[in-house]
Amino acid sequence: MSRRAILALPPRARRPCYCALAGTRQTGLMMLSSIESYMARSEKIIAYTCPYVPAEWIAAHGLRPYRLIPLPREGTPAIPRLEGLCPYARAFANDVAAGKDVDAVVVTTMCDQMRRVFDLLGRRTDVPVFLLNVPSTWQTVAAQRLYLDELKRLGRFLVRLGGHEPTREELARVMLDSVGWVGPPNALPRVWGPLLNPRVSSTDTSLTRGLRTHPTRSDQRHPEGVPLAIVGGPLMQRDRVLFDTVRDCGGQIVLDATETGQRGQPEAFDRRRLAEEPLTELAQAYFHIPDASRRPNSELYQWLKEELARAGARGILFHHYVWCDKWHAEFTRLKEWAKLPVLRLDSEGEGEMNSARVRNRIHAFLETLQ
Amino acid sequence: MSETPRQITLQEWDRGYERLQAAGVSQPTYGGPLGRHVDEGDARLLKLRFDNSPAALRLWNFLLTEEDRLRAARDNGKKLVGAMKDLGTVPVMAYSLDNLVAFYPDGAWWIPCVMEVNSGLLQIADSLGIDESFCPVRAMLGAFVTEAHFPIPDLLTCSVGATCDDFSAIAQRLNGLGYPILWWEIPHRRAPEDNEEGVHLPGGFSAPRGQIEFVKAELERVRIVLQDLAGRSLDDEALARGIVKANRVRELLARLREVVFTATPCPMPALEMLIAEMLAIHFCSDQDETIAVLQKLLDEVHRRVAAGTGYSSVQAARVFWVNPVADLQVMNLLEDCGGRICGTEYLLAHALDPIPPDVPPMEALAQMALADPMVGSAVDRAARIVAEIRRFGAEAVIVSRIPGASHCALEGEILGEIVREECGLPVLEIEVPPLTDAVYPSLRTRLEALVETVANRRSR
Repeated sequence: MSRRAILALPPRARRPCYCALAGTRQTGLMMLSSIESYMARSEKIIAYTCPYVPAEWIAAHGLRPYRLIPLPREGTPAIPRLEGLCPYARAFANDVAAGKDVDAVVVTTMCDQMRRVFDLLGRRTDVPVFLLNVPSTWQTVAAQRLYLDELKRLGRFLVRLGGHEPTREELARVMLDSVGWVGPPNALPRVWGPLLNPRVSSTDTSLTRGLRTHPTRSDQRHPEGVPLAIVGGPLMQRDRVLFDTVRDCGGQIVLDATETGQRGQPEAFDRRRLAEEPLTELAQAYFHIPDASRRPNSELYQWLKEELARAGARGILFHHYVWCDKWHAEFTRLKEWAKLPVLRLDSEGEGEMNSARVRNRIHAFLETLQ
Repeated sequence: MSETPRQITLQEWDRGYERLQAAGVSQPTYGGPLGRHVDEGDARLLKLRFDNSPAALRLWNFLLTEEDRLRAARDNGKKLVGAMKDLGTVPVMAYSLDNLVAFYPDGAWWIPCVMEVNSGLLQIADSLGIDESFCPVRAMLGAFVTEAHFPIPDLLTCSVGATCDDFSAIAQRLNGLGYPILWWEIPHRRAPEDNEEGVHLPGGFSAPRGQIEFVKAELERVRIVLQDLAGRSLDDEALARGIVKANRVRELLARLREVVFTATPCPMPALEMLIAEMLAIHFCSDQDETIAVLQKLLDEVHRRVAAGTGYSSVQAARVFWVNPVADLQVMNLLEDCGGRICGTEYLLAHALDPIPPDVPPMEALAQMALADPMVGSAVDRAARIVAEIRRFGAEAVIVSRIPGASHCALEGEILGEIVREECGLPVLEIEVPPLTDAVYPSLRTRLEALVETVANRRSR
């Protein structure tokens, strides 16, 4: 695609607001089909879960990005240990180890436990694993350059896997096509695609029921519900039942500030810079995803300040896994900082979000806000 | 004054101190009976057993008077640098300027042990949302809030990136409380790829040239801030002098470890050796005195080896110990159970390696920072441990987990797997909380079982 053609394309809207697993945006589904056709030349699947891994970069190499949001799976785990280990990291590793359809895995250094998962996967699976060094600091040019260099290194890894080195035009086209992508559905896995995309599935399982009905900011079906934000690290698939629970209890999630939600999305691409230096623009957009793990993590609070106000949230659900130090440590600070009531939901990754106890707590929390 | 090596109680030491004084053995200004530290709240000392040499007494007094030294340094116009999550890089830079004193606020992780959780530091951490699911280093938060255990430093630095989540989260909490922090990035060390120039690091690892350059640039940022704080230039010449001095400490420790881990009987107990190794991190706020303390210990060890005296018999199980313990008493326990230390990796192996003197100082320091076993993969760390096991002839390995520490959840499993594969040795993984009293019997049983396993393997 020529640079001129890129510039002729319609401008991208502001970063879309949606629930990552909801897949309810039509634009997302439309663009998904174009990406899938773009990737049809290769069926190699590259799994990742960290939002700092740009799906567009993988897709531009002709490979299929698959954001693995753990179920988690049943069966013999690769990591049987529970004590001290973040349930999400454990579930991710076990799902990768149990999966048969993944051709390579990309993990990042954003948390120490996932960094250790890289070691473990390297020893216990035959799947090629790549560790993307995402700097914790973000205020220096050197840190930004390091991230860009790491993306280039990831590119070489992808080429070794059978991908091809994309031209600037190819990358730009993928980035433009990605406008409106909806989180995980942009990386529909062969095996889980139907679970993640309600338009694809016709099976009404309890899992998909939870997934398909997530309210979004634009979802006005329950305008009377008390508007809440959910803040935290990533949610597992089954934790998405929280959205139903909130709705059933008389609330609605108006801001999904989890890692698997709106907060985990990159900034909107600048069309001019995209045309000139697409990889630099890609890196720039992803590097500034706000997260508790950044040092300092003031960007997270700045983002929350703006988004909480924009969404009109009247309360915050704070979700974190036990042994996830970086989010766990933010709870008290967030409580001190936010001028909103905060309800803490800690999870051992055992599906507690679907428990009567959590439902009761959310119900009581919402009562206090009515 | 030289006696047969013996581990003695605090009360015995206090009586021994009187005898030392009567015999005219000189003590440094911070010297004195160990019992006075109990009066100041260090109750755990009552449960420990100490080596009975004057060199060990000096070591303990040096360790337990650091706060006084920091306050005296400030009173004398020196600036204090709190080098967090930094096992021996920024302190080397800071001590290259004579009006800076660096210390290790993370060292507060031993306060709950030494004061038997009577300091209130953990309760303060709890109140700030940092509960027992975090590493005991959370005590540091309380130490900052109370200002009772070290003066608030003039500058706080903290390495982040390939570090443990606990500390990163705790440091961020500290920052959120209003303490400014100079964050510097340490990337995850990786092996050079085919198209990259590689650099061999001290300790045997390697890294791409690009990573060295990146860390060098990060340390340059630190250098600028240190210069501003000191009000004088920290040029390469000053750094080179600082490196020479740091290497003197490392050299003494290397000799000490070599002799202690290989001699039979063992000339110095595990507990004193643990404390000695920790001096390498930040020199316990006095680099010159660190050298003097280590020299005395080394002299004592040489004297004992020459005299054929020491602690353990040939039957003692030769144990390699991985990770520092939160409760110092456990080092005594190993010896009670019939073990002895023959090799350690207390997370600071790189702080014991000589800093390369033949490359520009900032390059050398960047290499050292990247040589940290914790910034690379557990597989790398295991390789270093395996090499040390072979070097010192260890017969078993103890991986001591730190409660709540993010790296301990998976790392021990990987280290254990590799050690078993490479060396065929028994590996015991234990968790050591700041106070082991409640789990002491079970810990004892597990250590005894390991020692018996070693004995059985010998008789096969």
